[in-house]
Amino acid sequence: MAGRTLPRFTRVYVDGYDMSGYARTIGPLGWEFEPVDLTAQMGDEVKGYLPGHPTIGPGTLNVVFETDSDSSTAAHHVLGTQNDDRVVLVAIGDRAAPIAGNPAYMGEFLQLGYQAEVDGGAVVANVPFGPWEGSSLTAYGQPWGTLAHALAASDSDGSDSDDFIDGGSSDATAFGGYMVWHVTAGNGTATITMEHSTTTNDSDAAAIGGLTTGEINCDSTVQTGLAVTTVKTTSINQYTKWNISMNSATTVTFALGFVRGRY
Amino acid sequence: MAGNTGRTVSRFINFSVEDDTDTMREIPVSDISIVGVVYEEQDMTAFQDAVKGSLAGMPDAPIEISGPFDNSAVATASASGVVPALSGSHTVLSGINGRLHPLGLDVQFGVRETYTAGEPQFGITATATSGYICTSYTVGSDLMYNAKFVLFPGSSLPAWGIALEAAS
Repeated sequence: MAGRTLPRFTRVYVDGYDMSGYARTIGPLGWEFEPVDLTAQMGDEVKGYLPGHPTIGPGTLNVVFETDSDSSTAAHHVLGTQNDDRVVLVAIGDRAAPIAGNPAYMGEFLQLGYQAEVDGGAVVANVPFGPWEGSSLTAYGQPWGTLAHALAASDSDGSDSDDFIDGGSSDATAFGGYMVWHVTAGNGTATITMEHSTTTNDSDAAAIGGLTTGEINCDSTVQTGLAVTTVKTTSINQYTKWNISMNSATTVTFALGFVRGRY
Repeated sequence: MAGNTGRTVSRFINFSVEDDTDTMREIPVSDISIVGVVYEEQDMTAFQDAVKGSLAGMPDAPIEISGPFDNSAVATASASGVVPALSGSHTVLSGINGRLHPLGLDVQFGVRETYTAGEPQFGITATATSGYICTSYTVGSDLMYNAKFVLFPGSSLPAWGIALEAAS
Protein backbone atom coordinates (compact mmCIF):
# COMPACT_ATOMS: atom_id res chain seq x y z
CA MET A 1 0.00 0.00 0.00
CA ALA A 2 2.93 2.29 -0.64
CA GLY A 3 2.18 5.75 -1.94
CA ARG A 4 1.10 9.07 -0.50
CA THR A 5 -0.02 9.39 3.07
CA LEU A 6 -1.16 11.77 5.79
CA PRO A 7 0.44 13.21 8.95
CA ARG A 8 -2.00 11.27 11.15
CA PHE A 9 -0.22 8.06 10.21
CA THR A 10 3.12 9.32 11.53
CA ARG A 11 4.48 8.03 14.85
CA VAL A 12 7.17 9.66 16.98
CA TYR A 13 9.36 7.94 19.55
CA VAL A 14 11.72 9.90 21.79
CA ASP A 15 14.15 8.35 24.26
CA GLY A 16 12.14 5.18 24.68
CA TYR A 17 8.77 6.88 24.96
CA ASP A 18 5.98 6.81 22.43
CA MET A 19 5.09 10.47 21.99
CA SER A 20 2.55 9.79 19.25
CA GLY A 21 -0.36 10.18 21.65
CA TYR A 22 0.73 13.75 22.35
CA ALA A 23 2.29 14.82 19.06
CA ARG A 24 0.54 17.23 16.69
CA THR A 25 3.31 17.85 14.17
CA ILE A 26 7.01 17.21 13.65
CA GLY A 27 9.32 18.63 11.04
CA PRO A 28 10.73 19.57 8.75
CA LEU A 29 12.66 16.31 8.76
CA GLY A 30 15.81 17.90 7.43
CA TRP A 31 18.64 16.49 5.33
CA GLU A 32 20.46 19.37 3.65
CA PHE A 33 23.94 19.40 2.18
CA GLU A 34 25.70 22.73 2.04
CA PRO A 35 26.32 23.32 -1.68
CA VAL A 36 30.02 24.18 -2.00
CA ASP A 37 30.77 26.36 -5.02
CA LEU A 38 33.60 24.78 -7.05
CA THR A 39 33.19 26.82 -10.18
CA ALA A 40 36.31 27.42 -12.23
CA GLN A 41 35.01 30.48 -14.00
CA MET A 42 37.74 30.57 -16.62
CA GLY A 43 36.87 27.14 -17.92
CA ASP A 44 33.41 26.13 -16.78
CA GLU A 45 30.24 26.83 -18.72
CA VAL A 46 28.07 27.13 -15.66
CA LYS A 47 28.37 27.31 -11.90
CA GLY A 48 29.05 23.93 -10.32
CA TYR A 49 28.77 22.61 -6.78
CA LEU A 50 29.51 19.59 -4.66
CA PRO A 51 27.65 18.68 -1.49
CA GLY A 52 29.49 19.64 1.70
CA HIS A 53 28.53 18.56 5.20
CA PRO A 54 24.89 17.60 5.57
CA THR A 55 22.77 19.11 8.30
CA ILE A 56 20.37 16.55 9.70
CA GLY A 57 17.68 17.29 12.23
CA PRO A 58 13.99 16.50 12.80
CA GLY A 59 12.87 20.11 13.15
CA THR A 60 10.34 20.92 15.83
CA LEU A 61 8.05 18.52 17.63
CA ASN A 62 4.77 20.17 18.62
CA VAL A 63 2.88 18.35 21.35
CA VAL A 64 -0.15 18.96 23.51
CA PHE A 65 0.91 20.23 26.92
CA GLU A 66 0.04 17.26 29.08
CA THR A 67 1.06 15.82 32.43
CA ASP A 68 0.21 12.57 34.15
CA SER A 69 -0.38 11.59 37.76
CA ASP A 70 2.92 9.82 38.34
CA SER A 71 5.04 12.26 36.36
CA SER A 72 6.34 9.53 34.11
CA THR A 73 5.32 9.09 30.49
CA ALA A 74 3.37 12.20 29.49
CA ALA A 75 4.93 14.69 27.11
CA HIS A 76 5.56 17.33 29.77
CA HIS A 77 7.64 14.92 31.84
CA VAL A 78 9.49 13.25 28.98
CA LEU A 79 10.31 16.41 27.05
CA GLY A 80 10.40 19.00 29.81
CA THR A 81 14.16 18.78 30.20
CA GLN A 82 15.88 20.58 27.37
CA ASN A 83 19.57 20.78 26.48
CA ASP A 84 19.78 17.01 26.37
CA ASP A 85 20.52 14.56 23.59
CA ARG A 86 17.51 12.58 22.44
CA VAL A 87 17.20 9.40 20.44
CA VAL A 88 14.43 10.09 17.94
CA LEU A 89 12.60 7.79 15.55
CA VAL A 90 9.88 9.09 13.24
CA ALA A 91 7.98 6.39 11.34
CA ILE A 92 5.62 7.24 8.48
CA GLY A 93 2.82 4.76 7.84
CA ASP A 94 1.18 4.12 4.49
CA ARG A 95 -2.33 5.41 5.16
CA ALA A 96 -2.34 3.24 8.30
CA ALA A 97 -0.25 2.89 11.43
CA PRO A 98 3.39 2.27 10.49
CA ILE A 99 4.47 -1.28 9.90
CA ALA A 100 7.88 -2.82 9.30
CA GLY A 101 9.31 -1.66 6.00
CA ASN A 102 7.75 1.82 6.10
CA PRO A 103 10.03 4.88 5.81
CA ALA A 104 11.59 6.06 9.05
CA TYR A 105 13.78 9.04 9.97
CA MET A 106 16.10 8.51 12.92
CA GLY A 107 19.14 9.66 14.83
CA GLU A 108 20.39 11.24 18.02
CA PHE A 109 19.67 14.94 18.24
CA LEU A 110 20.10 17.76 20.72
CA GLN A 111 16.84 18.97 22.24
CA LEU A 112 17.22 22.73 22.22
CA GLY A 113 14.14 23.78 24.13
CA TYR A 114 10.74 23.13 25.63
CA GLN A 115 8.35 26.05 25.35
CA ALA A 116 4.66 26.16 26.13
CA GLU A 117 2.37 28.38 24.11
CA VAL A 118 -1.30 28.91 23.45
CA ASP A 119 -2.47 27.96 19.99
CA GLY A 120 -6.09 28.77 19.32
CA GLY A 121 -6.94 28.29 22.97
CA ALA A 122 -5.08 25.01 23.27
CA VAL A 123 -2.03 24.85 25.51
CA VAL A 124 0.71 23.13 23.55
CA ALA A 125 4.48 22.85 23.72
CA ASN A 126 7.17 23.24 21.09
CA VAL A 127 10.22 21.01 21.27
CA PRO A 128 12.86 22.24 18.82
CA PHE A 129 15.60 19.79 17.95
CA GLY A 130 19.01 20.82 16.70
CA PRO A 131 21.22 18.87 14.33
CA TRP A 132 22.95 15.62 15.15
CA GLU A 133 24.15 15.70 18.76
CA GLY A 134 27.81 16.67 18.69
CA SER A 135 29.21 14.14 21.14
CA SER A 136 27.59 11.16 19.46
CA LEU A 137 28.35 11.86 15.82
CA THR A 138 28.26 8.79 13.66
CA ALA A 139 29.91 8.20 10.33
CA TYR A 140 26.54 8.36 8.62
CA GLY A 141 25.27 11.45 6.86
CA GLN A 142 21.86 10.07 6.08
CA PRO A 143 18.82 9.89 8.35
CA TRP A 144 16.31 7.93 6.27
CA GLY A 145 15.89 4.21 6.64
CA THR A 146 13.05 1.85 7.37
CA LEU A 147 11.08 0.74 10.36
CA ALA A 148 12.39 -2.75 11.11
CA HIS A 149 9.94 -3.49 13.93
CA ALA A 150 6.80 -1.47 14.57
CA LEU A 151 6.05 -0.70 18.19
CA ALA A 152 4.52 -3.91 19.53
CA ALA A 153 5.16 -6.58 22.14
CA SER A 154 7.36 -9.54 21.33
CA ASP A 155 6.70 -12.47 23.61
CA SER A 156 9.19 -15.05 22.43
CA ASP A 157 12.62 -15.47 20.96
CA GLY A 158 13.29 -14.51 17.41
CA SER A 159 11.73 -13.26 14.22
CA ASP A 160 10.97 -15.34 11.14
CA SER A 161 11.12 -15.27 7.36
CA ASP A 162 8.13 -12.93 7.13
CA ASP A 163 10.10 -10.20 8.87
CA PHE A 164 12.69 -9.71 6.15
CA ILE A 165 12.80 -6.29 4.48
CA ASP A 166 14.06 -6.14 0.91
CA GLY A 167 16.86 -3.61 0.45
CA GLY A 168 16.00 -3.36 -3.23
CA SER A 169 19.13 -4.70 -4.90
CA SER A 170 20.66 -8.15 -4.89
CA ASP A 171 24.05 -6.50 -4.51
CA ALA A 172 25.18 -6.13 -0.91
CA THR A 173 25.92 -2.61 0.22
CA ALA A 174 29.35 -1.95 1.68
CA PHE A 175 28.79 1.12 3.83
CA GLY A 176 27.53 -0.29 7.12
CA GLY A 177 24.53 1.27 8.80
CA TYR A 178 22.93 1.99 12.15
CA MET A 179 19.88 1.06 14.16
CA VAL A 180 17.78 2.97 16.66
CA TRP A 181 15.67 1.26 19.31
CA HIS A 182 13.00 2.31 21.76
CA VAL A 183 11.86 -0.19 24.38
CA THR A 184 8.70 1.16 26.01
CA ALA A 185 7.83 -1.79 28.26
CA GLY A 186 9.07 -5.21 29.31
CA ASN A 187 9.70 -7.46 32.24
CA GLY A 188 13.29 -8.66 32.18
CA THR A 189 16.46 -8.74 30.17
CA ALA A 190 16.68 -9.17 26.40
CA THR A 191 18.96 -8.45 23.47
CA ILE A 192 17.68 -6.90 20.22
CA THR A 193 19.75 -7.22 17.05
CA MET A 194 19.65 -6.68 13.30
CA GLU A 195 20.37 -9.54 10.90
CA HIS A 196 20.90 -9.82 7.17
CA SER A 197 20.71 -12.45 4.47
CA THR A 198 20.98 -13.01 0.73
CA THR A 199 17.70 -14.95 0.82
CA THR A 200 14.43 -14.73 2.71
CA ASN A 201 15.07 -18.02 4.47
CA ASP A 202 15.23 -17.48 8.20
CA SER A 203 17.95 -20.11 8.50
CA ASP A 204 20.29 -18.01 6.33
CA ALA A 205 20.07 -14.92 8.52
CA ALA A 206 23.25 -13.82 10.27
CA ALA A 207 23.91 -11.04 12.74
CA ILE A 208 25.19 -7.71 11.43
CA GLY A 209 28.30 -6.91 13.43
CA GLY A 210 27.74 -4.09 15.88
CA LEU A 211 23.97 -3.79 15.43
CA THR A 212 22.93 -4.99 18.85
CA THR A 213 21.49 -3.42 21.94
CA GLY A 214 23.57 -5.70 24.13
CA GLU A 215 21.66 -7.15 27.03
CA ILE A 216 19.22 -4.55 28.28
CA ASN A 217 17.00 -4.54 31.34
CA CYS A 218 13.49 -3.82 30.15
CA ASP A 219 11.63 -3.82 33.45
CA SER A 220 13.15 -0.94 35.34
CA THR A 221 13.61 2.04 33.07
CA VAL A 222 12.81 2.62 29.43
CA GLN A 223 15.61 1.64 27.13
CA THR A 224 16.73 3.48 24.03
CA GLY A 225 19.84 3.90 21.98
CA LEU A 226 21.65 3.95 18.68
CA ALA A 227 24.13 1.31 17.51
CA VAL A 228 26.36 1.44 14.45
CA THR A 229 27.94 -1.38 12.50
CA THR A 230 31.36 -2.52 13.64
CA VAL A 231 33.01 -0.60 10.83
CA LYS A 232 31.75 1.85 8.22
CA THR A 233 32.56 -0.69 5.51
CA THR A 234 30.49 -3.51 6.96
CA SER A 235 28.80 -5.42 4.15
CA ILE A 236 25.01 -5.74 4.43
CA ASN A 237 23.09 -8.16 2.23
CA GLN A 238 19.84 -7.49 0.39
CA TYR A 239 17.45 -8.64 3.12
CA THR A 240 17.47 -7.41 6.71
CA LYS A 241 15.31 -8.15 9.74
CA TRP A 242 15.12 -7.68 13.47
CA ASN A 243 15.73 -10.38 16.04
CA ILE A 244 15.43 -10.65 19.80
CA SER A 245 16.87 -12.99 22.37
CA MET A 246 14.73 -13.19 25.46
CA ASN A 247 16.96 -13.71 28.42
CA SER A 248 14.94 -13.30 31.60
CA ALA A 249 12.22 -11.32 29.82
CA THR A 250 8.98 -12.90 28.63
CA THR A 251 7.65 -9.79 26.91
CA VAL A 252 9.34 -6.75 25.42
CA THR A 253 7.53 -3.90 23.67
CA PHE A 254 9.80 -2.09 21.27
CA ALA A 255 10.19 -0.13 18.04
CA LEU A 256 13.32 -0.56 15.93
CA GLY A 257 14.58 1.45 12.96
CA PHE A 258 17.42 0.66 10.61
CA VAL A 259 19.41 2.85 8.21
CA ARG A 260 21.44 1.13 5.52
CA GLY A 261 24.53 3.17 4.65
CA ARG A 262 24.47 4.20 0.99
CA TYR A 263 27.82 5.97 0.69
CA MET B 1 7.00 20.24 -35.14
CA ALA B 2 5.05 17.69 -33.12
CA GLY B 3 3.11 18.72 -30.07
CA ASN B 4 0.92 21.70 -29.37
CA THR B 5 1.93 25.33 -29.41
CA GLY B 6 0.51 28.22 -27.43
CA ARG B 7 -0.28 28.75 -23.76
CA THR B 8 -0.55 26.10 -21.04
CA VAL B 9 -1.19 25.48 -17.33
CA SER B 10 0.73 23.76 -14.54
CA ARG B 11 -1.11 20.46 -14.69
CA PHE B 12 0.80 19.62 -17.84
CA ILE B 13 4.23 20.09 -16.22
CA ASN B 14 6.23 16.91 -15.66
CA PHE B 15 9.47 16.50 -13.68
CA SER B 16 11.89 13.64 -14.07
CA VAL B 17 15.30 13.02 -12.56
CA GLU B 18 17.85 10.23 -12.62
CA ASP B 19 17.70 7.89 -9.61
CA ASP B 20 20.44 5.97 -7.81
CA THR B 21 20.27 3.19 -10.40
CA ASP B 22 21.04 5.67 -13.20
CA THR B 23 17.49 5.56 -14.57
CA MET B 24 15.17 8.51 -15.26
CA ARG B 25 12.14 8.59 -12.95
CA GLU B 26 9.10 10.86 -12.92
CA ILE B 27 8.17 11.99 -9.43
CA PRO B 28 5.16 13.89 -8.08
CA VAL B 29 5.72 17.66 -7.94
CA SER B 30 3.29 20.33 -6.80
CA ASP B 31 5.57 23.34 -6.88
CA ILE B 32 8.71 24.21 -8.79
CA SER B 33 11.07 27.15 -8.62
CA ILE B 34 11.91 29.40 -11.51
CA VAL B 35 13.25 27.16 -14.28
CA GLY B 36 16.07 28.25 -16.57
CA VAL B 37 19.51 29.79 -16.66
CA VAL B 38 20.33 33.08 -14.97
CA TYR B 39 23.62 34.98 -15.33
CA GLU B 40 25.33 36.97 -12.61
CA GLU B 41 25.17 40.65 -13.47
CA GLN B 42 28.64 42.20 -13.26
CA ASP B 43 28.55 45.97 -13.02
CA MET B 44 31.11 47.52 -15.42
CA THR B 45 30.15 51.16 -14.93
CA ALA B 46 32.87 53.81 -14.83
CA PHE B 47 32.41 57.30 -13.36
CA GLN B 48 32.60 58.73 -16.82
CA ASP B 49 29.82 56.60 -18.29
CA ALA B 50 26.49 58.21 -19.07
CA VAL B 51 24.57 55.16 -17.91
CA LYS B 52 25.20 52.04 -15.87
CA GLY B 53 26.48 49.08 -17.86
CA SER B 54 26.90 45.41 -17.09
CA LEU B 55 28.32 42.22 -18.50
CA ALA B 56 27.02 38.74 -17.90
CA GLY B 57 29.10 36.75 -15.40
CA MET B 58 28.81 33.06 -14.61
CA PRO B 59 25.47 31.44 -15.30
CA ASP B 60 23.68 29.27 -12.77
CA ALA B 61 20.58 27.11 -12.97
CA PRO B 62 19.44 25.89 -9.55
CA ILE B 63 16.09 24.14 -9.33
CA GLU B 64 13.94 23.63 -6.26
CA ILE B 65 10.87 21.43 -6.17
CA SER B 66 8.30 20.37 -3.64
CA GLY B 67 5.48 17.86 -3.62
CA PRO B 68 3.81 15.05 -1.73
CA PHE B 69 5.89 12.53 0.20
CA ASP B 70 5.37 9.22 -1.60
CA ASN B 71 7.15 5.90 -1.02
CA SER B 72 5.77 4.07 -4.06
CA ALA B 73 8.06 1.73 -5.95
CA VAL B 74 9.92 3.08 -8.96
CA ALA B 75 8.17 2.98 -12.32
CA THR B 76 9.50 3.18 -15.84
CA ALA B 77 9.35 6.77 -17.02
CA SER B 78 6.81 7.45 -19.72
CA ALA B 79 7.63 8.13 -23.31
CA SER B 80 6.74 11.28 -25.20
CA GLY B 81 2.99 11.79 -25.38
CA VAL B 82 2.26 9.24 -22.65
CA VAL B 83 0.77 10.11 -19.26
CA PRO B 84 3.56 10.23 -16.62
CA ALA B 85 4.23 7.01 -14.71
CA LEU B 86 5.12 8.35 -11.29
CA SER B 87 7.72 6.83 -9.00
CA GLY B 88 7.71 7.56 -5.27
CA SER B 89 9.27 10.92 -4.44
CA HIS B 90 10.79 9.50 -1.25
CA THR B 91 11.96 6.39 -3.07
CA VAL B 92 13.90 8.47 -5.61
CA LEU B 93 15.04 11.50 -3.60
CA SER B 94 16.27 9.59 -0.54
CA GLY B 95 18.59 7.68 -2.84
CA ILE B 96 20.16 10.64 -4.62
CA ASN B 97 20.45 13.37 -2.00
CA GLY B 98 24.17 13.94 -1.47
CA ARG B 99 25.13 11.47 -4.19
CA LEU B 100 28.36 12.49 -5.90
CA HIS B 101 27.16 11.59 -9.36
CA PRO B 102 25.83 13.91 -12.08
CA LEU B 103 22.14 13.32 -12.62
CA GLY B 104 19.99 13.76 -15.69
CA LEU B 105 17.10 16.12 -15.03
CA ASP B 106 14.16 17.18 -17.16
CA VAL B 107 11.37 19.69 -16.58
CA GLN B 108 8.78 19.22 -19.31
CA PHE B 109 6.16 21.81 -20.17
CA GLY B 110 3.32 20.05 -21.93
CA VAL B 111 1.22 22.50 -23.89
CA ARG B 112 -2.42 21.77 -23.01
CA GLU B 113 -1.62 18.05 -23.18
CA THR B 114 0.68 15.42 -21.70
CA TYR B 115 4.21 16.41 -22.65
CA THR B 116 4.96 15.51 -26.22
CA ALA B 117 8.35 15.86 -27.88
CA GLY B 118 8.40 19.16 -29.73
CA GLU B 119 7.01 21.03 -26.75
CA PRO B 120 9.39 22.99 -24.48
CA GLN B 121 11.50 21.30 -21.84
CA PHE B 122 14.49 22.38 -19.76
CA GLY B 123 17.21 20.14 -18.44
CA ILE B 124 20.31 18.16 -19.15
CA THR B 125 21.22 14.68 -20.29
CA ALA B 126 23.76 13.41 -17.81
CA THR B 127 27.29 12.29 -18.60
CA ALA B 128 30.11 11.31 -16.31
CA THR B 129 30.91 14.99 -15.85
CA SER B 130 27.68 16.85 -16.57
CA GLY B 131 24.39 16.96 -14.75
CA TYR B 132 22.69 18.00 -11.56
CA ILE B 133 23.26 16.91 -7.97
CA CYS B 134 20.67 16.90 -5.23
CA THR B 135 21.79 18.83 -2.14
CA SER B 136 18.69 18.92 0.03
CA TYR B 137 15.74 16.69 0.80
CA THR B 138 13.47 17.68 3.67
CA VAL B 139 10.02 16.47 4.63
CA GLY B 140 7.64 18.89 6.33
CA SER B 141 5.15 18.14 9.08
CA ASP B 142 2.43 18.17 6.41
CA LEU B 143 4.30 15.35 4.62
CA MET B 144 5.25 17.54 1.72
CA TYR B 145 8.86 17.32 0.64
CA ASN B 146 11.26 19.98 -0.60
CA ALA B 147 14.34 19.19 -2.69
CA LYS B 148 17.08 21.33 -4.21
CA PHE B 149 19.27 20.67 -7.23
CA VAL B 150 22.42 22.42 -8.42
CA LEU B 151 24.88 21.60 -11.18
CA PHE B 152 27.94 19.35 -10.84
CA PRO B 153 31.29 21.19 -11.09
CA GLY B 154 32.47 21.40 -14.69
CA SER B 155 29.05 20.55 -16.03
CA SER B 156 27.86 21.74 -19.38
CA LEU B 157 25.03 24.24 -19.35
CA PRO B 158 21.49 22.86 -19.14
CA ALA B 159 19.29 24.26 -21.83
CA TRP B 160 15.81 24.67 -23.19
CA GLY B 161 14.96 22.12 -25.81
CA ILE B 162 12.14 20.04 -27.24
CA ALA B 163 13.19 16.43 -26.57
CA LEU B 164 13.34 14.25 -23.46
CA GLU B 165 16.59 14.22 -21.48
CA ALA B 166 18.30 10.98 -20.50
CA ALA B 167 20.22 9.45 -17.62
CA SER B 168 23.96 8.88 -17.70
